[in-house]
Order: sequence, then C-alpha cells, then structure tokens
Amino acid sequence: MARMKFLCDAERCIECNGCVTACKQEHEIPWGVNRRRVVTMNDGVPGERSISVACMHCSDAPCMAVCPVDCFYKTDQGVVLHDKDMCIGCGYCFYACPFGAPQFPQLGAFGVRGKMDKCTFCAGGPEPDGSAAEFEKYGRNRLSEGKLPVCAEMCSTKALLAGDGDVLADIYRDRVLRRGKGAEVWGWATAYKAPAGGNGAPRPAGATPAPSAGPAAPQGGKS
Amino acid sequence: MTRRLEAIVVPLAAALSALMLAGCGERPQVVDYKQGTYSGKPDTPAWSNAPFNGNEQEWTNVLKQRAQNQNEYKRIGG
Amino acid sequence: MAGHDDPVMSRAMRAARSLAVVVAWAALSAMPAHAQSPALNADDAASAKAQQLQQETQPLNNQPVWSEVRSGRPQVTQVRGRETNVLIQQGGQTWRALRNGQVAVYGGWAIVVILVAIAAFYLWKGPLRLHSPMTGRKIRRFLPFQQLIHWTTATAFVVLAITGIILGFGKSMLLPILGHTLFSWLAQIAKPLHNFMGPVFAVCTVIIFFTFVRRNWWRAYDMVWIRKFGGMLSGHDVPSGKFNAGEKLWFWGGVLFLGVVVSASGFVLDFANFDQTRQTMQWANIIHLAAACLFMMAGLGHIYMGTIGMIGAYQAMKTGYVDETWAREHHLYWYEDVKAGRVDVEAVPSSKEPAVKPRPA
Repeated sequence: MARMKFLCDAERCIECNGCVTACKQEHEIPWGVNRRRVVTMNDGVPGERSISVACMHCSDAPCMAVCPVDCFYKTDQGVVLHDKDMCIGCGYCFYACPFGAPQFPQLGAFGVRGKMDKCTFCAGGPEPDGSAAEFEKYGRNRLSEGKLPVCAEMCSTKALLAGDGDVLADIYRDRVLRRGKGAEVWGWATAYKAPAGGNGAPRPAGATPAPSAGPAAPQGGKS
Repeated sequence: MTRRLEAIVVPLAAALSALMLAGCGERPQVVDYKQGTYSGKPDTPAWSNAPFNGNEQEWTNVLKQRAQNQNEYKRIGG
Repeated sequence: MAGHDDPVMSRAMRAARSLAVVVAWAALSAMPAHAQSPALNADDAASAKAQQLQQETQPLNNQPVWSEVRSGRPQVTQVRGRETNVLIQQGGQTWRALRNGQVAVYGGWAIVVILVAIAAFYLWKGPLRLHSPMTGRKIRRFLPFQQLIHWTTATAFVVLAITGIILGFGKSMLLPILGHTLFSWLAQIAKPLHNFMGPVFAVCTVIIFFTFVRRNWWRAYDMVWIRKFGGMLSGHDVPSGKFNAGEKLWFWGGVLFLGVVVSASGFVLDFANFDQTRQTMQWANIIHLAAACLFMMAGLGHIYMGTIGMIGAYQAMKTGYVDETWAREHHLYWYEDVKAGRVDVEAVPSSKEPAVKPRPA
C-alpha cells in the first residue's frame, strides 16, 4: 500500500516559487490563500537554504485531533483531506498545525474566517472525483487521473518530490549517493560510510575515506 | 410556581449531567475513523472512476511509473 | 575627444582597464567570505554568521539548517500572510495537548462534579425556606433598569455557555449521537452565535459592574457570613446587607474577574484581523476555556440559588419586589436600612412606586 509523501531537497530548491504559482493556477485558488509557500533561511549568505512547504499529510495529524466537528479524514494512501461542508471556520487547525498549512479566506469584517482550505495532495475532496463541485471547493483531483501533485511534477530542479514514500526514498537515496551530500543530518555517513568523491568539498575532520559507493551507484535505484 | 419550576429544572439538570458525563469517557480524538479506511466520510478511493474504474493495481503502477519521472538520473539515462 | 583617439593608446587603456577589473575582482574574491554583509536584516546576523563559519569548517554538516527549520524563527518568504515566514511552529503541539487533555478533561469533570454536588445538596437539604409567614407587604429590591441589564447579561451568558459547550465538548458528547452532518449544522449555528454574543456579553459586563458595584463593597459582617456559610447548612439565617457575601463573591470573582478574563481572551480569538500570532491565540484559547469552565461552575451555583435553591429569590429579580419577611430573614441589615429610610439612591421610591408597597386590599 502506497503512503503518499512530499519530500523537499533543500540542496536543490532555488526559491523560484514555481510550485506556489503552479498550485495556485492548477486549483484556481483565490487571493489571500496559499496552499504552498517557499521559505528561505540565511537569505543572501553562503549556506542559504530554501524549503517548499505545504500540508505534510501527517500520520497523527494535529488538525484531525483538534477539529471540533471532526471534518478531516485520511485516505488509504495517507493523504489528509477535509470536508468543507462540515467546516465551521473556527481556526483550531490553524493553531495546531506545525507547518501553517490551513488557510482561511476572509469572509467578512474583522477577519471572520471562511471554510478552511489546504493542500489536498491534488486529491480533491469527498465529492465525486473530477466533478465540478469538487473542483470548485478543493481544486483538481489529479490523483484520480493517475497524476501526481502538480507542484512536484513541474519542479524545475526536481527539489520537490511527491509520491509513494518508498519510491521517493529510492530516488533520493540514489541522488544523495551520486552527489555525495545532503542527507548527513540523519547520519548517512555514519551508517553507510561517506561516499567517495562527492562534490569535491573538504571532508569533515575524522571522516574515514570510504570504499567507493558514489560513482558505482546502481542505475536509478531499484524500481 | 416553585413546584412547576422544579418539574422543569430537575429533569433538565439530570439530562444535562448525563450528557456531560458522556463527554468524560475515554474516546479517541478522531471519531469514527479507522486507520487506512474511509469510514465515516463520504469519499471514494482515487482509482474508483475512469480511467481506472476500480483497478487499484493499475492505478498504483501508473503512479509508481509517474513518480520515476522525478528521477532525472533515470529519465536522461545518467 | 573621440576624434583624436590614437588607436594604439586606446587599446592600451582598454587593456589596463580590464586588468584593473580582474585585479579588483580577484581581491574581492580573496577576501574572507564573512567580511561581507552577513545578512539582510540585523536580526539574522548572528545565525547567518554562524552558518557561514559552518560552511567553511564543516561543509557537509547541515545540522544548523535543520535546527533553524525547527526553531520557529521568522525567515524570508515571498508569500504574504500571517506568519508565512515561519517554517515550523512548535506551540501547536502544546496547545493541542492542553486543549484536548487537561483543560477538556478537568474542565468537563469539574462542571459535572458541580452539577452533581448541587443536585445532591438539593435532595439533601431542599430549598431554603422562610421561617415566618409572608407578610404580603412588598419591598422594592431592583429597579427596572437593573432587571433589564441582569436578564440581558443572563441571556447572553446562557447562550454563550450552551454554544461554548457544543463547540468545546460536542465532538465527544453530541457527535457520536447526532452524526457528522447534523452536528456540523449545529456547530455552524453555534459558532457565529458564540462569536456575536461575545461582544454583547462584554458590554453587558461593564454595565452590570457599574450598576451593582455600590452595594457590593466588602463589609466586616461578610466574613461572619462566610464563616457560617450563609446558614445554608445550619438553617439559621445569617444577617447581611443588600447582597450577602456569596453574591459579593459572585460579583467580584465571577462577573468582574472571570467576565473580564473571558471577554479579553475571547476578543483575541474573535477578531482574527489584528495579525495576532498563533502563539497568542493558543494561549488566549487555553485561558478562555479554563476561565469559561470556572465561570460556568460559578454560574451554575448562582442560577441554582436564584431559582430553585431559595424560595423567593427568583421573584425578586423577576418582579423587582420581595416580601418583607424574605428581606428580614435573608438580608437583615438591608431590611433595617429600608425600614429606617436609609435606603440608597437606587432604591429610593419614585412618587409612583413606593419603597414599601401596602398590602393589596
């Protein structure tokens, strides 16, 4: 059973905001609502990193836990969706979400919240797949057409990946082995030894030269 | 007057406290949801309509293949 | 000048200029990286500098980046909106744990316990009755304006309490009974009602405070009343002023303190257009829920004493008049004041409405 995930490669993201634009265009999202955004750290200095973030479709989703009308549900593939007909616009999901994914169109004076809107992993909502009603409320249902989220599919540097977690892990492992950097934070070098060659950057002190893994990496990983 | 008031207030208080007591039970935070199912919510799986018409295996394969488009080492034969 | 240009000279000058550019570029490149302006805004200077050093000493170590991701500090983004520049906010998890855990469980249980305690007390002692027969002579206790503001506030309070319970505890109490669709309709009515009734209640709180504050100053005999628990257990009447110590506690602790806390935190949640951060709204929500649970508990006590808990109390606020016997037994000092003509301005009889009504013929 597939488990849908987003993966953003911070080594590749160039903050072009193409994913943001593509998402808005694909789902015809109104002004003031942004299902996806790109955030840059250490902007303008060496070591700058950008990350594209939207709903992360958590396993133990805080929004589901706090919703007072229980309007959220999770598909077989781990996509967190919600029913806008039930939503009362209380904003609790916005308080709870670590990633700032839930968005609220402003309905009236004093910032009265309308129905919550968030990334659907391009999987629509409870309405019949591909129907006009579904499109109006949640945007296109690309998953039911056999397509992946548009933000990842059109990413120019392939920094943003979307799809089954197992497949993404293969793609990313292959990539990291070839370029020799990017996943050190979770102890890649310790677990599998540092790849030889890499990008020519100096090795951290104490790192042992590894038996070659990089250049001889398997073609495309297993598929 | 007081009698009539009692007749209204006492059953009301009893019903209210019974209702409130129901809220103190140990319940999961998400009602009517079982892991990996659509239970309680009226949505259909992504492969239920055309072009897949309920063929889950085909849908899974198509998505897997499509996900490999994101692997440029494979795509451009690197 | 261009006309006099010697082609050879010109070429030499161009070469010299190119050389100067190359030298300048090389000099700039050779400068250590951290000599440049480290960050666009001053707040990021320290972390940017650390990141730069990190790049030089440990180019393969991304740990600082991922700590930065989790830090919740504002970064740079092109997307406009509230806190869009924060990647991960960690307060939400704390809020969720408190909101669904301690606050919901203890708050909910506390209300149930109070309800059960009141019911048990009522079954055990019954309502407080008068010891002597009623005289039939009525004394004015509340002016029409006081009745109006009391019942307006009371209506707002009850509406807010019921809608608040639906929104706060409905998911575990009503949703399993009503089902998703029906409960969602109920909640969609409850939320705007709660949001619009809130400011009404806040205004009422201010008015009701100034209306009743004069007779609620704490007096020495109030401590005696507290020590004897108002004679509720002994059955002996304890003298008090126009308002007894229990009513004064409700006035200062309930109407004033909890009223202000609930209103202020409610405004933070109600008006989402002032760019409050999520952290502000999370804490406002926790305070709002805790204070509201206390308020409902105290309110239950007040409603009990004002309706079935004490014979004659409900009539006082409904009609504005009380029987002389009731006044003498429950509010002796106030009764003596009225009898001696020392009544305060609010109870001074107009020419049409005498302070002491004659026995109906």
